[in-house]
Amino acid sequence: MANAEWDELKQALKKPVSKEAMTEAAQAFKKYRVVKLAKGKSSKPTLVSLGYKKTYPHAVPVDKIPDELAKNPEFFKLMGRIIK
Amino acid sequence: MAVTLAMADFDLPTRSASGFLLRYIVPRVEPIQLLGVLVRRLPFRLSAPQSDIIIGCGHGDVDAFTGQNEAVILEVGKYDPKEVEGKVIKLLSCQTGVELGPDLVRNGCAAFMGYTDDYIWVMDSDLASTPWADEMAATSLMPVIGSINALLDGKTAREALDIELEGYSRNAKVEKDELVKACLEFNRSNAILIGDGGASIRARPSLALPFKLIPPPPLLMPV
Repeated sequence: MANAEWDELKQALKKPVSKEAMTEAAQAFKKYRVVKLAKGKSSKPTLVSLGYKKTYPHAVPVDKIPDELAKNPEFFKLMGRIIK
Repeated sequence: MAVTLAMADFDLPTRSASGFLLRYIVPRVEPIQLLGVLVRRLPFRLSAPQSDIIIGCGHGDVDAFTGQNEAVILEVGKYDPKEVEGKVIKLLSCQTGVELGPDLVRNGCAAFMGYTDDYIWVMDSDLASTPWADEMAATSLMPVIGSINALLDGKTAREALDIELEGYSRNAKVEKDELVKACLEFNRSNAILIGDGGASIRARPSLALPFKLIPPPPLLMPV
């Protein structure tokens, strides 16, 4: 079920790439993470992709997504395509 | 029915994806199975022409599909059409549906199934040595397994793609985690079929019941 934090993240990711938008998205993801995730017992959820020659890592632990969002415009754009 | 199954397994995403293939596909197909260090250009070039279907998991880009340690396996304009002629090809990889897939079909591949953007999922990295036990990853990877099993059971490429799409929709409907759900919807919207939707291969022998596939032993992890 969508929550306010998730909607806030969606809005942040809709903005054109800029340092401010990336920081805002990172903050929004952090807030969302505090409220959500961790399916089941102890686990280390990691966002992974099968991309080749990308500027973002193949695997980003979910708790590190805000850091990647704040520093990597390509990752910001990817998350914008995923979270619509 | 000969199958070339290319499964890179050198990092978290390839280990997770190939783990599901090891658990659910490998026990029911005959060689040729290229796993780990064998997922390179030369073994692929030798095995592909003998196959009816090529199934691959590895990193990819718009114009290339790679194997172990990102060794290029198929790249636009850099393969022999004999490797792909008349075959059904399924690549679990990012963006290969943009240029590589159409190029494969232009060179005689009967049907190509792939993705037009990144293939993304959330996995539990604590389960890297037993990736098939990862329920989080299963939400995204089991629809792919369902689609591959359908192809191997003689279903058409269109039917197999529909099975995959339905799998994503079904899992997204019950998924409570917004991020996992977004990944499912993203993969669903990027899954494509190019070429002949009616293409199929001869079905493998059916399983006599009761029959239970035993999970493989844990994978050896790099030190």
